[in-house]
Amino acid sequence: MQTGPFNKILIANRGEIAVRIIRAARDLGIPTVAVYSDVDRTALHVRYADEAVHIGGPRPAESYLRMDKLIEVARRTGADAIHPGYGFLAENAEFAGQVMDEGLVWIGPSPSAIATMGDKQAARTAVRRNKVPLIPGTEPGIRDEELIHAASRIGFPVVIKAVAGGGGKGMRPVQHEEDFAESLATARREAESAFGNGDVYVEKLLEGARHIEFQILADAHGNTIHLGERECSIQRRHQKLVEEAPSVFVDADLRGRMGEMAIAAAESVGYVNAGTIECMVDRDKNYYFLEMNTRLQVEHPVTELVTGVDLAKEQIRIARGRRMGPTESLLEPKGWAIECRINAEDPYANFMPSTGQITTMILPTGPGVRVDSGVFSGSEITPYYDSLIAKLITWGETRSEAMLRMRRALSEYRIMGLKHNIPFHINLLNSISFIAGQFDTTFVERRFNMNTYEQDPTASDLETVAIAATLYAHRKRQLASQVVAPAKRDASNWKWMGRFERMHR
Amino acid sequence: MKYVAIINDQHYEIEIDNTGSVLVNGEARDVDFLNLGGSLFSVITENRSFEAVIDDDEDKIAVMMTGRLFETQVLDERAMLMMQRRGAPASGSGEVHAPMPGLIVEVTTQQGAAVSQGDTLVILESMKMQNELKSPTDGLVSAIHIEAGQAVDKNDLLVEIKPAAEKS
Repeated sequence: MQTGPFNKILIANRGEIAVRIIRAARDLGIPTVAVYSDVDRTALHVRYADEAVHIGGPRPAESYLRMDKLIEVARRTGADAIHPGYGFLAENAEFAGQVMDEGLVWIGPSPSAIATMGDKQAARTAVRRNKVPLIPGTEPGIRDEELIHAASRIGFPVVIKAVAGGGGKGMRPVQHEEDFAESLATARREAESAFGNGDVYVEKLLEGARHIEFQILADAHGNTIHLGERECSIQRRHQKLVEEAPSVFVDADLRGRMGEMAIAAAESVGYVNAGTIECMVDRDKNYYFLEMNTRLQVEHPVTELVTGVDLAKEQIRIARGRRMGPTESLLEPKGWAIECRINAEDPYANFMPSTGQITTMILPTGPGVRVDSGVFSGSEITPYYDSLIAKLITWGETRSEAMLRMRRALSEYRIMGLKHNIPFHINLLNSISFIAGQFDTTFVERRFNMNTYEQDPTASDLETVAIAATLYAHRKRQLASQVVAPAKRDASNWKWMGRFERMHR
Repeated sequence: MKYVAIINDQHYEIEIDNTGSVLVNGEARDVDFLNLGGSLFSVITENRSFEAVIDDDEDKIAVMMTGRLFETQVLDERAMLMMQRRGAPASGSGEVHAPMPGLIVEVTTQQGAAVSQGDTLVILESMKMQNELKSPTDGLVSAIHIEAGQAVDKNDLLVEIKPAAEKS
């Protein structure tokens, strides 16, 4: 069933998003069933859910991607709806179909909407019918000579993309017409060796473009609205790192026009439930449809904070066949929200993922701060799943207030035991370009680096670091050289000694 | 005890006597240095309060403070003497180990190849991300212990580089 009443939700996911959905269900008084793999026995989603069922090994293919087991667990526990979260099976039309065939409610869009939007060409064909603007480009399967003609018609610079690529792989930009033939041959060769499929197509290369997306909500009563935009241009290798709502680049007029376009795109596939229309917006504010994500997004909280709408709750409400809460599109966001993705990645070592146990975690709190997290002190970050530790979201009346609160929250946040990217976020929040709102999707990779700061550390900060490092080394050495326990005098005696010094100066 | 702390090529002479007082370049400092558990420390110097996360890795001490990472080296008298005799501290070893468990996606170098520091040698996939493992030094690839498609554990030896002769 696509919509209908239900009384218990199975959450086919893990981590912070599973916790997020459990919270929404609990707010609505609906019991939940969590599933977990071998390494997630102690995870928060398992502890917060009403019921929890072990479904297999740590690798996703042995557990969170096992459609048969998930449906069997739903049947066994009496769960009559499944929420897929994001990632794993969230955009798997086959799974959505199986869930419905079982007579369960799928908390998400129809399998046909998932399938159409999941296929790049089918999605372009569908939205074009509703006059949604697409990045000028060619179809795949075109011969070289025709591609050369097409490229000059589109206008340089262009990008050659592998049909089998995606997520930033198999893309080759070409700046000048005279280089096109050679680049095309290279791109075909690379696509052949990387994906076993040499088919490519050509698209206009948008320079200085921003990634801006619109949140869509649609119910089964024919209502489709948008809840404004999210700015997601701060990304690295197509992985978003910081998102905000609204965007400094979008005024009320552009929001209105892009929002109508987003609604038209969703309606082209008869979309029901929450979804996101991702767009590229160039320097001249021309906007183009990129793709539709047929699920709840990682960055949905920024929209929640500026609209007051609980998107996870609305998803459940819509799946139950009710009318959604908000009835009109949002043209004026309330205040500003920013989200920093806190990842187990070392910004000082090329964002290398880091695994291990979180030995200490102190969460920031205070006015305007929200943390969506699925981990805790003592939990293990394993190599089996993505590196997201938590999402730190702040809200303010203005963008400046939201940014200042984010800086405060980042400086309070302590995570120990593994490397994380909080220093990256602190550095970004101090960058003049970011503060001024001047960035595009290439900002982090081309113009940002962890060795340059807007301000040098002060001499007294450096001296404090020198003192701290030396005292650390000194103590360690004393511990190493003394087999007997060190004398009582330690830690707090430094302070005592300081006072002693002053008295005898 | 006398130490020299080195941060960003700047040297600080720091003396800690057995009563615990601290002298920086000969001047007394009021320091309260407390461990808050694990690698978290509270530092109050001249009434200014900081929290620092301090970890050490072989000869380097990493201090994370005010949202920045400071790599420091702390040398005691003996180490200082050794360093003066030997010249600069020896550069890093030529071994590339797996920083985390994962799957080898690609080996981008070959036996005997000449590599420079920072060249990508191996692409390791872990946590759904591809990570480039780079050469720690200039030299020649003397051994490759893995191949594409192989699963590795943390700290497994992947590639060995014979460092190029020290430039004089």
